Amino acid sequence: MTRWFSRGYLSLMYLFLYLPIVVLVIFSFNNSVFSGLWHGFTWRWYHELFNDSSLLTIALHSGIIAVLASTIATIIGTLGATALFKYRFFGKQALFGLLFIMIIIPDLVVGIALLLLFHSLDMPLGFFSLLLAHITFCVPFVFVTVYGRIVSLDKNLFEAAKDLGATDWQVFVKIIFPLLIPAIIAGWMLSFTMSLDDVIISFFVSGPGFQILPLYIFSAVRLGVTPEINALCSLILLVTIFLAISSQYLLRGRR
Amino acid sequence: MKRLFLAVLSFFSVITYAGSNVLNIYNWSNYIPTKVIRLFEKETGIKVYYSTFENNEALYAKLKSAPNSGYDLIFPSTYYVQRMADEGLLEPLKLSRLSNFNYLNPRLLNLEYDPHNRYTIPYLWSTVSILVNDRYYNPKSIHEWSDLWQPRFKGQLLILDDVRDTFSVALRVLGYSINDRDPKHIYQAYVLLKKLLPNIRLFNQDGILPIYLDGDATVGMIYSGDGYVLHNTDPRLQFIYPKNQVIMTMDCMAIPKGAPHLNNAYRFINFVMQPKISAMISEGIGYSTPNLAAVKLMPKADQESRIMNPPANVLDGAQMESDVGDKATAVYMHYWEMLKLSA
Amino acid sequence: MNNQQFRFISIATISVWMLLFALFPLLIMLVSSFLSQGTDSFLELPFSLSAYETAFHYLYVRVFFRSFFWAGLTTIICLLMGYPFAYLVARAKERVRMLLLFFIIIPFWTSSLIRAYAMITIIKTNGLLNHWLLSWHLIKHPLHILYTPIAVQIGLVYTLVSFMILPIYANLEKFDWRLVEAARDLGASKLRAFFKIVVPISAPGIFSGCLLVFLPAMTLFFIPDILGGAKTLLLGNVIQMEFLDSRNWPLGSALSVILTLLIALLLIYYRKINTSKSMRGLL
Repeated sequence: MTRWFSRGYLSLMYLFLYLPIVVLVIFSFNNSVFSGLWHGFTWRWYHELFNDSSLLTIALHSGIIAVLASTIATIIGTLGATALFKYRFFGKQALFGLLFIMIIIPDLVVGIALLLLFHSLDMPLGFFSLLLAHITFCVPFVFVTVYGRIVSLDKNLFEAAKDLGATDWQVFVKIIFPLLIPAIIAGWMLSFTMSLDDVIISFFVSGPGFQILPLYIFSAVRLGVTPEINALCSLILLVTIFLAISSQYLLRGRR
Repeated sequence: MKRLFLAVLSFFSVITYAGSNVLNIYNWSNYIPTKVIRLFEKETGIKVYYSTFENNEALYAKLKSAPNSGYDLIFPSTYYVQRMADEGLLEPLKLSRLSNFNYLNPRLLNLEYDPHNRYTIPYLWSTVSILVNDRYYNPKSIHEWSDLWQPRFKGQLLILDDVRDTFSVALRVLGYSINDRDPKHIYQAYVLLKKLLPNIRLFNQDGILPIYLDGDATVGMIYSGDGYVLHNTDPRLQFIYPKNQVIMTMDCMAIPKGAPHLNNAYRFINFVMQPKISAMISEGIGYSTPNLAAVKLMPKADQESRIMNPPANVLDGAQMESDVGDKATAVYMHYWEMLKLSA
Repeated sequence: MNNQQFRFISIATISVWMLLFALFPLLIMLVSSFLSQGTDSFLELPFSLSAYETAFHYLYVRVFFRSFFWAGLTTIICLLMGYPFAYLVARAKERVRMLLLFFIIIPFWTSSLIRAYAMITIIKTNGLLNHWLLSWHLIKHPLHILYTPIAVQIGLVYTLVSFMILPIYANLEKFDWRLVEAARDLGASKLRAFFKIVVPISAPGIFSGCLLVFLPAMTLFFIPDILGGAKTLLLGNVIQMEFLDSRNWPLGSALSVILTLLIALLLIYYRKINTSKSMRGLL
């Protein structure tokens, strides 16, 4: 009896979680503009998507920001995790605290704080402000991912290397870094996805000259449900699902 | 240090500007048919970037917060034109550069909000009226704005997400002018609108079409352009002119001060004023064109459409929205915010 | 590169970045909340408490309470839905468990905006849910769900339930089930064993989950924005409104500051309850 209950419950939950996504993908092939009913299968909307050059530019913008932000955030986060793991310095606890705060704090507050920063620096909103903002919200997540991994490493390895005369930099490059690669990649992917999906922070710090995908979808979504947006969203879902799968595979594989 | 910072920044912004043959439009959503934009791009080779704002307040806020906003062409409503012009946010127009100017209806030119059309060119005008889904309610049972307050409409109304349009309704019900500046009257309008809150399902501006079509709102306010499209798509959605209480609005084309691609902006404005393009825009979006020559190019059904080209008697007693000055605008905005918070 | 240099660079990069782009902006936000709304610019001297005076006005306090209430409701629903789910997955056999977990993580990674948007096709008046209910004769008239508080509640739960499931699962995965067996051997019923043993030990996971649901539920403004109507103005929407429409940056900052302080209080309370390393407990 409990077997059926557990199976039933799990299935119901998965249904709840996946139904809207499945409906979205199916309706992106719907041959009708307004209706909620099925009118026949068509590739039309995907064709229109790929022919829409301004949309492709916007997607490219999002991609560029995501790649740049993730990479820079990964560098900063990885170095930072190493530093906080190895060294003692003034303000170490405070820095931990700040990183923790940045993870907990709602995106809304981060977005506003950054808007206020750029405004007080008289900085125009656009590519640069967006990039800085994205790096900022990604760094704490990379940090936590890498740090979680680094503390489980065997400290004796480093001690041994140092006894043999290696400098900190060599220890980092030859020992720490290779062992951290799965976590670093996971951190990069997490940042990439977060950057690609971010709506709230980008909403406050972006400018007209450099449009990005999530904000485009956000304004399009307000206009109502259309098959083109369904098609666009389905594609994005596909990309993020692919990334999710890869990252899980990586993390599990190297346990 | 700051200068070095800014220098690096401008270097990056130059990269992202994608060349100089570009036009950055900041407009209401879906307010220029894609067809028209493509035609313009084809004819002139200028690449058009289209960004959207939700309402005039957002447009105004954007221009004020970033004087180098990067936009070349904006579409404010009449009642924001005067304020923007007074604050030096708009580029004065050289009408001599706009050869198609003569096609416009003289009755819509040289009006109070922009004497001699120093800063703006009329783009599309519309009326704000009532839409009802006759599957739910009998259209003949609704005559004027005050009918919306009836308890039978509980939770059914779509109200436009625009402070002036919505307050105009309440002001008309109270018998005041829609451009009233008296804080006491505005307060009374606010109190009246608070009483409407139980009936209001949502405030919306951009996504009106699917909401009425899907029946997520069954009665409420509507712009004539949207009403035109809705009625054609689903004839059971009926457009009702409240007797003697029609509200008129007009959106205009303007160039923000310091627009980076001034010439391209002029070219676009002139392009839009060609009768056949203006007709295409009006037909595509459903709003009324200020271009007399364009009306004559439309199919007979549209020339006679009550929604798109209403006969003169329907517009009896109609009032056009115009600027009410800083003080009153602040009062309106204050009560608008209070209204939304009170929901 | 010698040790001094490496130490300096590795500490400096992250410290400088976080100071400049995390701490400093938050301080600016604090300062802005004490400035005045300008006519020509968004923030002007003189310093004043008027933003806070307005923030404590009845209508804004009402929004705070409403947001807290809904976020709380969302958290409870997510807990009731998510805990059994996490429990069942944790108890499943190894291979099945991997698969089940995998399918939970996928929605977690996808854009919550897109998923919320995907709901519209189902819950709108002319949508799938009503079509099914009407065709099965379960209802006579279509349900009006979209643009009401219910739609927002569903949207919030839908978006955030994964955030509840994962921390609880992470906790239960390491659980030593022999404890339950021992209790059963000593005569406890299944239910008793569950509530007296499993639940208390999974408490850190529960708290992490609640935190990860409660905070976004208050501030994810795009969910009430696209799924809600007039009556669903939450804190996130109000703050957004202050910055964009009302152009009252001091008030927006003040509301954000108050929100941050309340969150800080919540966290202090959370820290007191959960003594182990909170940061790893979150992941």
